[in-house]
Parts: sequence; C-alpha cells; structure tokens
Amino acid sequence: MKRIPVFRPHPLARLVAAGIVAAGLAACATRPPASNPIAVAAYEEANDPLEPFNRAMFKVDAGLDTLLVRPIIKGYRVIVPENARPHVSNFVDNFRSPITLANDLLQAEFGRAGITLGRFVVNTGVGFFGFFDVGEKIGLAYHSEDFGQTLARWGVPDGPYVYVPLLGPMSFRDGTGFGVDAFLVDPVAWYGRGDGSMAWVQWANFGAVYVTTKDSFIDPLDELKKSSLDYYAALRSSYRQIRAKEIRNGAPPPMEDFDE
Amino acid sequence: MNIRFHSRRAAALCLAALFIFTTPLRAQDAKSDAAIFVGNFAQQGINDILAAPIANAEKQQRFGTMFKEFFDLPGIGRFVLARYWRAASPEEQAKFTTLFEDVLVYTWSRRFSEYNGQTLKVSGQQPDGTEGTLVKSTIIGNNNSHFGVDWRLRKRPEGFRVLDIVVEGVSMAITYRQDYATVISQTGSFAGLLGRMESQVADLKRQQGS
Repeated sequence: MKRIPVFRPHPLARLVAAGIVAAGLAACATRPPASNPIAVAAYEEANDPLEPFNRAMFKVDAGLDTLLVRPIIKGYRVIVPENARPHVSNFVDNFRSPITLANDLLQAEFGRAGITLGRFVVNTGVGFFGFFDVGEKIGLAYHSEDFGQTLARWGVPDGPYVYVPLLGPMSFRDGTGFGVDAFLVDPVAWYGRGDGSMAWVQWANFGAVYVTTKDSFIDPLDELKKSSLDYYAALRSSYRQIRAKEIRNGAPPPMEDFDE
Repeated sequence: MNIRFHSRRAAALCLAALFIFTTPLRAQDAKSDAAIFVGNFAQQGINDILAAPIANAEKQQRFGTMFKEFFDLPGIGRFVLARYWRAASPEEQAKFTTLFEDVLVYTWSRRFSEYNGQTLKVSGQQPDGTEGTLVKSTIIGNNNSHFGVDWRLRKRPEGFRVLDIVVEGVSMAITYRQDYATVISQTGSFAGLLGRMESQVADLKRQQGS
C-alpha cells in the first residue's frame, strides 16, 4: 500500500513556533484608556494589536537584512548587469503566471484571466521563455493576483498586521494567501513534490522570486526609511495602501477626508 | 517587503521624490486647467531646477519657493495631523508647517542629482470630492520603466494647489499621517513630534552640506 506522506514539523521548528505564539500573546499592544480619545483614535487607525511583537521582529529583520539579504542582493547585482535585471524579473513573473491565472478565475475576472493566459503564451513563446515582455507591447498589460487578494474579494477581512523576518509585512489574510499560493496553487510546487529529486526546482523558483523582489525593493525602502520619522509605521501604512490598490485592481483610491 | 509584490510596481514605491516634479508635460496632453497645472509644475521643476546649471543650494532654495507656490501646505498639514492639528495652538501649527516644508524640500533635494531625462505624461483626470480634481499621470524613464503618479488637486481662490501625490497607490499624505501619529503617541506630545522633525531636518541639511 502506498504510504501517504504526512507533514511532520521538526521538533525544533515546533518549539520555535510555540515561542513565537507565546511572545506574540505576551506582547499585545495595550489599548489607551477611554479618557484619552485622541490616543484611542490613533490606536484604532494603526490597527496593529501585535505591534510590540512586530517591532521586535522588525528589528530581527533589519539585522538579517544587513547580514544576509543585502550581501546576496549585492552579489546578484554584480552577476546580473543592470540592463538585464528587468528581463530576469520578466522571466520570474512569467513563471508566476499560473498563480495569477488561478486567482483571476477564483475572482471571476474572466477578462483579466484571458490577458494573463495570453501573456503567458506570447511571452513564453515569442518572448523567449518570458525574458521579453512581448505581451506588454501588444496591449496585454501585466497584472498580478494572489490568494490574499482573492480572499479580500470574497470578503475576508485582513486581520492583524504581522511583520515576518525575511518576508516582510503582511496581514493574517495575505500571509494565509501567500501560503496557499506557494504550496497549493503554484504548479512549480506540485512539480517539486511529485518526485523527491525535483524538490530543488521549488527552491530555485522561490530563490529567484525572492532575490528579484528584494532587489526591486531595496532602493524604495531605503528612501522610505530616510523620509520617515518612524520607519516601522511608514512601512505599515505603505504596505496597506499598496495591497488596497492591488485588491481594487488599480482603481483610484476612495476619497479621503481631505476637506474636513 | 513581502515577496508577493510585483517588482515593477514595487520599485516605484518611494521614488516619487526623485521624479514627480521633474518631468516635462507633452503639449498635446494638456487638455484642462488641472492637467496644465501639473504640466507647468513638471516643466518648471525641470527647467529651473533639475536641468539648470546651478549649485545644489540654489536648487534647494528655488524648489522651496516653487513648493510653496504649487502645494497647499497648510491644507496638507491639516490632513496629515488630523485631530492633532485641531488640538494644536496657532503657533504650533505654523511651526509644523515650516518644518514639514523643510522635511519635504530636503528629502527630495537629496535626489536632484539623479535626474536623467524622465518624462511625465498626463493620462486623464476625474473629479475628486466636491471641489477637487485627481490628475493621473505616468512617469516614463529612459529604460522604458514607467509608474503611475496621481495628483490630488484642490481649487483655491488663487488657483489649483496640490494636496497629495499618490505614487503607485501610496499616498504621501496618508503615509506621513500614520508616521506622525505614531511619533506623537510615542513621544506623548505634539512638541515631541516637532522635536523629532527638527533633528531630521538638521540631519538632512548636514548631509547635503547646506
């Protein structure tokens, strides 16, 4: 009889996970007293009940960024010249097309699904395995979808904000979506699992997505850090605005109370 | 940053500071007062500041003047500080406006030297609230990179004024609003925010040797 593989986390991983949960619970932000309405309003607008824990993770991430991520990106920038980097990104994006396509369909966005499919065919064929974005030139503009956006369209609220070292900011909903895409939706993941010797494909894919994404974020994030007073808060706000725009499929933001 | 973000969208996240006011408008796109206003801002920015053969200190000074002319600074201040603005004294409001102007001018002027020929194309506009206009534009770089910048304009008695710029979905005013609200709750007072802004401006000035 065929044995069904069961996912068993390493005992150490379980210990670390338990520690993180405990630390998270212990580090909940305290709501300001009702006698201070301005502080209460600020607390509600921040909507970040795990803030003390997140700020600790943010510091851990900054350390890992210096020690690990930046040297890797520096190496990538040495190996891949600047004018070739957009093509590498195109290739990685093209590989991700099935995830976008699946989520277009789950959101019943059939027109956008058609664009995703058309781009995938054209870019893989004419665009030399995706290195050249031919689709963009013939009017099939790029967009990206993920299961976090699908959940949002289905009405799932975003849940608490979490900062995950190495991965960055996310909400509970979008973190869940990321896991679903990476392990259940992505054909590359299925391919990698099909045969033990193919697991490297999944890791190579993850590595390529990671490096190209981090590469594109380093400069804008450095800029945000310099222009803000509290980088953590500025990043949290920017992250939410970008996600909101992606969920709206790029439509203009609703009116803010600028005229109050 | 979360790895689900797409790189081209992402790369634009904060580069606004570099390009937004720097790029000439194509004449045929100037179809309305609001679009012309955005175009003039871009054109003047490039002619008088970025491409001008003058020292950086002079550029900073010109940009400060231009900034006051095109942006509704007290309006931005009211939005960024929201409830704190109403609780502040007129002296504190004036001090904040001056400091905030310096923060923006010196944050942006750090990048003046990186300008290399980007252009701005106005792609449309729509009503924004009861008295405003949202002008949509694209910044096109010379390596064919492009990203979206929306301009939130308000009609004031003296003409249009910019209230906010939104780069690839990220609003400058909303980001500063949440940044500053956090600093006020950390330091416990409005004066605490002003102090932090003062030292930020001093750092920026020192780094740029002015």
